[in-house]
Amino acid sequence: MTWLNSHPLTFLVFAPALLGLLILALPNTLGRLSRLLGFMGALAVLVLSLAWLLGHSGAGATTVAEQAPWFTLVGLPVDYALTVDGLNLWLVLLTTFLVPLTMLGTWESIKDRLGTFAAMFLLLETGMLGALMAQDLFFFYLFWEGMLIPMYFMIGIWGGDERRYAANKFFLYTLSGSLLWLVALLYLANKAGGFNPAVMSQAASALPFDVQCWLFIAFAVAFAIKVPLFPLHTWLPDAHVQAPTAGSVILAGVLLKLGGYGFIRFAIPMFPAAAMHYAKPLALLSVIAIVYGALVAMVQRDIKKLVAYSSVSHMGFVMLGLASFTVIGTQGAMLQMLNHGISTGALFLLVGMLYDRAHTRMIADFGGVAVKMPIFTTFFLIVTLSSIGLPLTNGFVGEFWILNGAFLSGFGWGRIYASVATSGVVLGAVYMLWMFKRVFWGPENKDADCGTHHLHTDLNAREIAVMLPIVVLILWMGIHPRTFVAVSEAPVVALLQDAKAPAIRTFVLKPAVHEAPAADTAAHDAAPGPGHETPAPAAHEVHR
Amino acid sequence: MSLTPSQWAALLPLILPALGACLIPLMALDKDQTTAKWIRAVMYGTALLAVGASFWYLTDLWKTGAQPSFFQLRMDRLAQFTGIFVLVAAAMTILQSWDHFHQEGWVKGETLSLLLFSVTGMMLFASTNHFVVLFLGLELFSLPLYALVGTVRARPESAEGGMKYFLTGAVASSCFLMGGVLIYGLSGTLDLSAAAFTLKAQGLATDPLVLVGAALMLLGFLFKVSAVPFHQWTPDAYEASPHPIAGFMSVATKGVALIALLRIFGGSFAPLGNLGVKMQSVIAVLAVATLVVGNLTALVQTNVKRMLAYSSISHAGYLLLGFVAGTPAAYNGVLYYLVIYLAMNMGAFGLLTAVGLVGERTTFDDLRGLGWKRPAMGIAAAIFMLSLAGIPPMGGFYGKYMIFRELVATGHVGMAILGVLASLVSAYYYLRFLVALFLQAPSVEAERLASDRPEVHAPLAGATVLVCAAIVLAGGFLQTFLADGFARRALVDGLGLIR
Repeated sequence: MTWLNSHPLTFLVFAPALLGLLILALPNTLGRLSRLLGFMGALAVLVLSLAWLLGHSGAGATTVAEQAPWFTLVGLPVDYALTVDGLNLWLVLLTTFLVPLTMLGTWESIKDRLGTFAAMFLLLETGMLGALMAQDLFFFYLFWEGMLIPMYFMIGIWGGDERRYAANKFFLYTLSGSLLWLVALLYLANKAGGFNPAVMSQAASALPFDVQCWLFIAFAVAFAIKVPLFPLHTWLPDAHVQAPTAGSVILAGVLLKLGGYGFIRFAIPMFPAAAMHYAKPLALLSVIAIVYGALVAMVQRDIKKLVAYSSVSHMGFVMLGLASFTVIGTQGAMLQMLNHGISTGALFLLVGMLYDRAHTRMIADFGGVAVKMPIFTTFFLIVTLSSIGLPLTNGFVGEFWILNGAFLSGFGWGRIYASVATSGVVLGAVYMLWMFKRVFWGPENKDADCGTHHLHTDLNAREIAVMLPIVVLILWMGIHPRTFVAVSEAPVVALLQDAKAPAIRTFVLKPAVHEAPAADTAAHDAAPGPGHETPAPAAHEVHR
Repeated sequence: MSLTPSQWAALLPLILPALGACLIPLMALDKDQTTAKWIRAVMYGTALLAVGASFWYLTDLWKTGAQPSFFQLRMDRLAQFTGIFVLVAAAMTILQSWDHFHQEGWVKGETLSLLLFSVTGMMLFASTNHFVVLFLGLELFSLPLYALVGTVRARPESAEGGMKYFLTGAVASSCFLMGGVLIYGLSGTLDLSAAAFTLKAQGLATDPLVLVGAALMLLGFLFKVSAVPFHQWTPDAYEASPHPIAGFMSVATKGVALIALLRIFGGSFAPLGNLGVKMQSVIAVLAVATLVVGNLTALVQTNVKRMLAYSSISHAGYLLLGFVAGTPAAYNGVLYYLVIYLAMNMGAFGLLTAVGLVGERTTFDDLRGLGWKRPAMGIAAAIFMLSLAGIPPMGGFYGKYMIFRELVATGHVGMAILGVLASLVSAYYYLRFLVALFLQAPSVEAERLASDRPEVHAPLAGATVLVCAAIVLAGGFLQTFLADGFARRALVDGLGLIR
């Protein structure tokens, strides 16, 4: 126990992988046992992560860290450094939450090689948790790349008809960004003499500005591929559509978040000046992603593809929030990452449940599903509304903060881009509700070959048990988002101060802290800003 | 002439395999069919014993830290490193070839004898600065390999591949000889270290003739490394030879050629500073060409062995990038990479034997679905391919990391970018291997044919594959032990390159 007390993070990160390797060694005939074992393991990790990580956050200081020198190769020391702090606490919990939930939600979806699937899932969990917690860039890189391997096999073995193409595309696309990033990393590590982020950012600030810009671009491209930011998003629809349901959920729920997290954790703090310099192009690409993703989602005939493109749009909001360089925008981006993980993850789960019954995902094959599956329809409606961003659901808060941040950012482009991005919210409502109408409402599709015809059972107890915690979270995040952003406030403020964002851009959410920044902002035309960003439901009226 | 213990110590690692090589043909004289099986076992046992004894002796020598020498034969740490490297590869080759020939049909016992002679030659080649000894070593390890490529006489490609390898190899050897002659003619000494000092003292360091001589010697090395444009023999020779021999050539030939290159150009010719710079730029151009040609050609191969051949060409490119950086740390990376590369390639070629894909059946289609039928081999294959592609946490990543790190540190950022792009391309064809193993079901016809064939029993090859997989993984998790404890000490104690 003493070892566990001093190494909680090591246990959380590597326990899933060890269990996964154990399951991999079990014979194929024990598939059902392996699946159960994998689920129990993931559940245990969730419980332990909640107990250990949230237990620490009671006092306000939330940092849990482990650090030790690991090895020195060719003169560059690499640290074994894992940290959970305000920036990644909720993403870590989102990961440990989604893994067992997805396992349960897709219990019957995988028919063959159950043990291998559970093992890949657990290895993937190790990769994701490691990447989220790693505080040494080399260590981070190991997880960032290593994560591709289980995901590759997940898509490639259990995916749809085009799975091999999609898996290869996913792997090579992501690899291309991270390999170029590796060169930038090595360049900077040479200047800094190590991979410690603090040392590296110090070394980065001493470099000429144009070198900083190049390095930032290398970092940004690697992370932007993962986000994915327009125009680097083309791997996403293929990977999402071909992946098995569980793969899609984790891909949308956690892997995409790692891109945004990479910006917040590494790219922006290490190159604040370059990041500010490129705020406009980043914001422009985000706005394009928001609108383009929404427009493309609108014309999709496959529900899963529609959700995939909606991911592009939603993750565009995250990037816009980051590019605004305001506390409210960045906090909105943090929240939006959690929102997207939960809402889109839930949508993929629901689409998977529909597909398991009907064996089709084409919108045209459905119609009148609401009559046949009322419980399913209820859940789908709640998640759809959360994805659209209806007030009282999580989607609203994140998008509102982000748009608010972009609008008040004080950048010349802020207001225009925020206005254009707002159309993404409207378009989001259009494509989601239109899809909902065609699938669930209207007369029942009587065609014998169509999907509705094959729907015989509504959700069973297991599936309801999967959806309930999601619905609870959707409402909780919509009504009291502070639970989820309180811990990240201090790090985000510190981050933006390091980035030397103008005073107007650093006002914070807490009413008590409004005073000081408000005085600075008086000169700006956005002075009434501070009143808007309170997360109280009253603000919803302003938005709509 | 009586030898001192120290001289014996230097000679013994070479004598043991040579002795085995001499004994084996005597056994092969036995023509009695009834005893053939036993004789064969004794031959393999003898070969293993010779290799094992030499390996045991070398590791003992390594532990004591002694660096004995016998005239121009210097059994220093670098030579001991080379010896251990070659002997491990040879032992795996012997084990794999038992299973391989069991499946493809037995050939005469001289195969083992040739292999052991080749091993002796390789150890000689990498442990001297003296040109004549160097050339002796080169020929002693090359000539048996020419014959080994053509071992399976039943296949017409086998003779073709062997012939091609022999003819081009002979040209390369004569170029190497000519280069040495030019340097000897100008300096008046055959000891290359002494020659470098003499040339420098005479102010001939950048004399065109010296440059031509050095370039011709470089050509000889690069031919054995199979760098572009001296790579043409590689795919044909690998395809022609039995899998274990192909694996041995891809690993040991490349390894010793690079180590000898390091010893001569990194060590002996170091006084001729300017010449080194010129040779470095030549190596840089060829390394780029090797990376581009090797990787792009590997993309379109349908035969696994040809793919692995082009992959081995491209790996020569990465290894040569270490010479472009030219720092001690980069050489350290090269040696580390060679250790991992030994495991990856011996493993990949051994895998083909272990799953029973011998003879002509070496296309990607033949691999389909095998990962599920033989899970342990499948996982090992995944480890090898991901490591060859340089994906962490496998050992291959650290090899590339060390080399690219030094490239960036010495200001060759462009070369590093090219290197990572090359490994991006390579990831595609390594993934194809995994796609075939895991993601594709075998065709109906292949299933039918497979059910007619007897079960594959290749326990020895399978065991070597698992050992290789363990080494590759160890390279990923115990990287300091291999890089600092093994590769670095070979450089520091052997060449006196200290960082």
